[in-house]
This record gives sequence, C-alpha cells and structure tokens, in this order.
Amino acid sequence: MIEVIAVAGLATIQDGGRPGRMHEGIPPGGALVPELLARANAAAHNALVDPAIEVQGSLTIAARGALLVAADDGVSRLLKEGDAWTLACGAARVRYAAVRGGIDVPLVLGGRGTLLVAGLGGHDGRPLRRGDRLHVGSGVERRAALPPAPILDGVIRVVPGPDLDRFEPGAVDVLLASDFRVSTHGDRTGFRLEGPALARGDDDTGVSAPMVRGAIQVPSSGECIVLGPDHPTTGGYPVLATVVRGDLGALAARPVGAMVRFVPAVQALLAADKG
Amino acid sequence: MHVSFERFGDAALRARLPEGTDARSLLEALRAVPRVVDAVVTERHALVAFDPGFPPLDVTEAMARALSEPSPAAAPGEHRIRVRYDGEDLDELAAMTGLSRSDVVAIHAEPEYVVAAVGFLPGFAYLRGIDRRLVVQRRQRPRPRVAALSVGVAGPYTGVYPFASPGGWNLVGVAFGFVPFDPRSGATLALGDRVRFVRVEP
Repeated sequence: MIEVIAVAGLATIQDGGRPGRMHEGIPPGGALVPELLARANAAAHNALVDPAIEVQGSLTIAARGALLVAADDGVSRLLKEGDAWTLACGAARVRYAAVRGGIDVPLVLGGRGTLLVAGLGGHDGRPLRRGDRLHVGSGVERRAALPPAPILDGVIRVVPGPDLDRFEPGAVDVLLASDFRVSTHGDRTGFRLEGPALARGDDDTGVSAPMVRGAIQVPSSGECIVLGPDHPTTGGYPVLATVVRGDLGALAARPVGAMVRFVPAVQALLAADKG
Repeated sequence: MHVSFERFGDAALRARLPEGTDARSLLEALRAVPRVVDAVVTERHALVAFDPGFPPLDVTEAMARALSEPSPAAAPGEHRIRVRYDGEDLDELAAMTGLSRSDVVAIHAEPEYVVAAVGFLPGFAYLRGIDRRLVVQRRQRPRPRVAALSVGVAGPYTGVYPFASPGGWNLVGVAFGFVPFDPRSGATLALGDRVRFVRVEP
C-alpha cells in the first residue's frame, strides 16, 4: 500500500482514459501527457496505460510494505516499509508517479482515472490528499524500452477548422503565424494560450456542437482555449483549428510561459480522407 | 441525401445535419460503424471519433444510409421526474416573461420534453419542447456553483444539472428521486428520450 503524506497542488489518479462514452456526456479523460504516463509505467514495468498518479505540484508518499515506484524521468526506486518518496514538478507542468503493479482502483465506466467534474473514478472521484491509502495492483511485469519524452520546443500540428466560416478570413493565418504562450489559466478541462486575438466573424449564438480534445475554441474575446482530456463534450464556441492527437501531450506538457507555435498538419498525416 | 463530413483534427470527423434528422437513429447507426470509437449527435451536428491510425472506412456511406432510411431505433425511454418548484430565479423569470410565478411553474410542468442532445456534463440532457413563453436568455452572470439536481431553463431548453457545477441557466426548481448519472451504468437520459416533470409541493 501507498500512503499519501503530502500534496501541494493537484494529484489525481489517471490512466488511458474512458473512451467511447462522449454520447453520454463523459469526456475521454486519460493522462494530460500520455507519453509521460507511459514512461513512468514503463520504468515501473507496468502496462503503459496502467493507473498512476498525475502530479501538478508535488507529492510525497510513504511505502506501507515494500514496493517499487518510478517516475516519468525513467528513474525507479525500491522502497521498504516506511520509506518516503517525493515527486516534485519543479519547472515541469505535470509529472507521473507509477508503482509496480499499478494503483489498484475500481474500473468505472471503462476507465480507472479520476473525472473531477463528475466526482467519479480514481480514488473516490477526488484529488488525493494527506492520509489517503492506495492499494497496489498485481499487474503482470512487463519489460519495455522507455518511450520517448514529448518534445517541448517543437511546433504543434493542427488541422484548420471545422468552424472557419465563423471567423474573419485571416484568423487561421494569425493562428499559424503567431507566437502563443501557455497562460496560468488551465486545468484538465482545457487551458488558455496568450497571444494575438483571433477575430471572430459571428455573434455568440452558436448552438452547442460536439467537441474533441485538442479543439482550439475561441470565445468572443478572441482568446485561444485548447480543450483538455476532461473537456465538456459539447460547446458553443467556434473551433478555429484542432491539435492532432500525436501532439496533444507535447502541448499539455509545456509549463506556464512556454512558447507555442502552430503549423498545419500535412495532408499525408491525415489518414481519414473521406470528406 | 448526401451529407459530407469535415475534419475535426485527425481523430474525428464532423457533419452538419439537415433539418429533421432522426438523431437517435443516426447516433446508433454511426456508433455501429466499424472502427468508430464514439459518436455524438447534437441538434445540428454529428461527430465520429476514432483512432487516427485506424480510421473508419465508410462513415460517409453509413451516414447517408441512416439519413435516407432511418432504421427503427429502439423505442425511446420515458421518464417522469418529480420537481419541487422553488427555484431561485422564479421571481426573475416571472418578471422577464410577464407571467405570474405560479404560471411559470404550471407552464414548465405542462409539456412532454424530448432529449435533443446530451453533453456539457456527464448525463446532462438538453430538453426541447419548452413553451415559447418561457424562452429566456441565460443569466447575464453565470453562477459559480449551481447545486446538483437543479432544474433550469435557458433559450429553447430546459434541463437538470447532474452535478454541482458553474452554470448560467435560470433555476426553476430541484428534481427529486432522479439519478441523472450513475457511475455503474452512465447517463440516464439518452437522445430522443421523453421527459415529463411532475410537480411536487415544497
């Protein structure tokens, strides 16, 4: 068992998500940075999407019984009864703490991760706090190479649209030609980027439409909001462009103040060519 | 009828729906397409989500088929939801609509509503069918917290908040004995379901 000794910021249990339930209003969930969850799990010899602890801030745990913990930097450590271990984000936006065997929490609607807006999944549907005791799972031991970490200073690929008709004609060019910075406003539902205003060409009477993770929503202020894993499944703001799945982690991993540049995804990347 | 999909990132496609689409039947048809991980149908749009490395092959065809000959989907669910009409915004609603407070309540409790979309929060259903006299704007300033099971109206919709959340709808009351979302089974209200509100005394 693991005992939570201290949490600063937010620590929740996350895994590969809860796909296939958006038609019930349930967002896909999953790690903010899937690559880092996979690294922590690989270092703990787990399946890459086993439940682990997503930390935004810092987390200190104590071992109740011997166990192996690992972090997204690939470093693992064997703890014996009573040993304490701290994972701190420092300059990083988010980090992951895995334990050999995975964190043992119940499967809820196809996933084990915490969905805060609905208070479900993870540990009682809520953030971890001091005194929580988490059971360790018995997942079979796997040996896999450490997956690569996301690249934090690369360009982020987007597919323009689908609501280009609700913007001024040059809005997508502004998005693709400008520097944006990660703002302090963000959580698992979405985060804001600071940059030039993206000019809307309509009023705010759009009906609610389905949304996806990575959609770049623009309210009438012209701000840029990128939807995260726990995004509302429908929304009324128009979407200027959408981040491709392979770059979601590389964007979500960027710390506050980091620069973001968008480029159009090349056609060859887009497998579904059935428009 | 031909409706084309547009790209929504590399892991989803979205279509704009023609008027009068049978949403319930379309949702079932899209979810049944091989390789479609999820589908969402709202009043004007349909979305299919998939793994970008393993995209569906015939979404457009399935969509066209579903629109031209809607399959008889399973009968929609019927729900009776008891409501205590003591919402914080009843007086304001009465003032905005020129009705009496008791008229607002009677008019809200009268129709049979239909689930036009599910979204925003897990288990949140946008219910169509509100009497024209109760169509009002969302509140100017959304509340930072609306209690779970609050019943609100906004624009052409009414609905029940499944969880405490920020919200801008005008509150008419609180639902009783209704579980909008069950962590074991998911959302209670599905697209096309019929809903009646039954007034209970405060």
